[in-house]
Amino acid sequence: MTPLTFTLRNEPEERLDLSGLTPDRLAGMTPAEIAKLRVGTSRRPVAAGDIFKITGTDASNIVFSGGSGRFDRVGTEMTAGRIRVAGDVGARAGRRMAGGLLKIEGKAGVQAGSSMKNGRIEIDGDAGEGVGGPMAGEIHGMSGGLVIVRGKAGDRAGERMRRGIIALLKGCGDHAGLGMIAGTIVATGRVGRYPGHLMKRGSLLFDLKPAELSPTFVDCGRVEIAFPALFDRYLMEEGILDRPLLGPRPFRFGGDNAVLGKGEIMFARG
Amino acid sequence: MVAWIGSRTVPLSAAIEQVAKLLATSRCPVFSLDSDIHGCRSLIALAERVGATYDHVNGRDLVHEVALHTDIGGFFATATEVRRRADLIVVGGDLPTAHHDLLLSLAASKPDLSGGGRRRWFQINGKAASAGGGRPLRLPKAVEVGSPDYPVDAVLGILRASLAARKASAALANADAFLSAMAKARFPVFVCSHLTDVPSLAMLQGMLADINKTQRATALFLPADDDAWGMVLASTWMTGFPPRTGFSTGSPVYDPWLCDVDRMIAQKEADLHLWVSERDEAPPARRGGPPTIALVRGERPVAGAAATIRIGKAGLDHDGVVYASRIGTLRSVAATTPSDLPSVRTIVSHLQHALTGKDMPC
Repeated sequence: MTPLTFTLRNEPEERLDLSGLTPDRLAGMTPAEIAKLRVGTSRRPVAAGDIFKITGTDASNIVFSGGSGRFDRVGTEMTAGRIRVAGDVGARAGRRMAGGLLKIEGKAGVQAGSSMKNGRIEIDGDAGEGVGGPMAGEIHGMSGGLVIVRGKAGDRAGERMRRGIIALLKGCGDHAGLGMIAGTIVATGRVGRYPGHLMKRGSLLFDLKPAELSPTFVDCGRVEIAFPALFDRYLMEEGILDRPLLGPRPFRFGGDNAVLGKGEIMFARG
Repeated sequence: MVAWIGSRTVPLSAAIEQVAKLLATSRCPVFSLDSDIHGCRSLIALAERVGATYDHVNGRDLVHEVALHTDIGGFFATATEVRRRADLIVVGGDLPTAHHDLLLSLAASKPDLSGGGRRRWFQINGKAASAGGGRPLRLPKAVEVGSPDYPVDAVLGILRASLAARKASAALANADAFLSAMAKARFPVFVCSHLTDVPSLAMLQGMLADINKTQRATALFLPADDDAWGMVLASTWMTGFPPRTGFSTGSPVYDPWLCDVDRMIAQKEADLHLWVSERDEAPPARRGGPPTIALVRGERPVAGAAATIRIGKAGLDHDGVVYASRIGTLRSVAATTPSDLPSVRTIVSHLQHALTGKDMPC
């Protein structure tokens, strides 16, 4: 079977809510039925058929041929299957995702992987602020799964995350791991102001010492524990990094002591 | 002379008809609002009618204050309760100039329900602590706690760690005096405005949550703009949500990013912008932006606007209702120099009639 392919006809005039175009929701539907699904968000919303040329039959393998910064909520609540976007996406890609693979070959907007529970998101370009974070009014952010951003991420990556792994391969903005409850954030490159602000538990793993570390983190010196080697091996086996991040004796800071103080920031070089 | 289409003076009825036509045909209208409670209520009802998205004209500042309540929550008291009960007041960072009189009046009063009539003051300061706007307030009685090396959010973090007997890697001036005063206080109150950002407000409210495990403590939240906070209250009781909310799907949707009116205009999602300001603020000039309808006090048509209608200001040209943080609730304001300029509510009522053939229900 050929992948179910949505080929973008023109840049949309309005933001599109693509949460309905996931493997779970499209299973068993014909292209004609899919074309009638409402995806627009304005007063006169467009249907999927107005925006995309729809071909293919395999709903478990969806391809968006051509992307746009107005593609919101791609892969929302998907539980299985695969979505590939050949281009950019807008806000909240992979929102509350519970399984499967979401591959974005361009940039992602704000809150990619917002409150995701499981599965894997790969973003080849930059990502906006709030990767894995909660939406307004929600208590917790990401609670499982893996997000890989191969470009730079914005502020507040991993806000209030409880579990899972976020890898940011060209650095990130301010307050990475803000209010983090548990989980792991990996970042290589420049990290913004006060990573781990208000974090209770969890691990922030960097290649370099952050330029601005909150004074409520305390220096624990260099540590010789098994975790860095294990995690380095995991990162390489998953294809996230091609060389060790932390090495055998990383530097460790404990905090945030303003809250519980059971989190850690580790980095290879001071 | 109260209405223009472009730069041409027209009767009010003609301008209303033109604006109603623009609203009816718009695919994605957005409203930037600044009015009293009656004006905001009528404009939110109009937004619902035409499927518009709305925000306050100073939504960029307001969004942090709203996030304090939607994302973090907290302990809050009114200024009246603080005046009578607080035996320790801690001012967190700089406060907007508009609230300095309130602080000075608190400084001149004594708590009659707590602390034996005595009140101690502390002021938390840090590096570049001027997020509140305006000149810094210096309270003569206040002991300054802080460090010139760290911003206010970091200072708050160090204080919070110290209160829980956890280590920090920096020391603060007068921290021991602060901890001692906190231990003795029966009703400490932290006065805050939009400090710098949401993480700072989260740190302050987290500290209050820690303190409340063993004793009472609360915060007096002073919004940067009382009129904007009044709009938040009106929006919340009408739709269940604060601004940034939109009605494009028919039901109210609150989304601080998606419904950011400035972003929607910049990214060319909006195709019509209704700007309402009872102050003398004109809409920001934007090249290539959508058509603008301006409801403003100015005596001239707004340059580049498709239509301009003059409005009066509540409390000046006509009576109105506004939010007052000094009393923590709404208050009526009488017109000081009554004029014939129509209120926002009057204009919106005409628009509703032109759109539906019916008058507004409220």
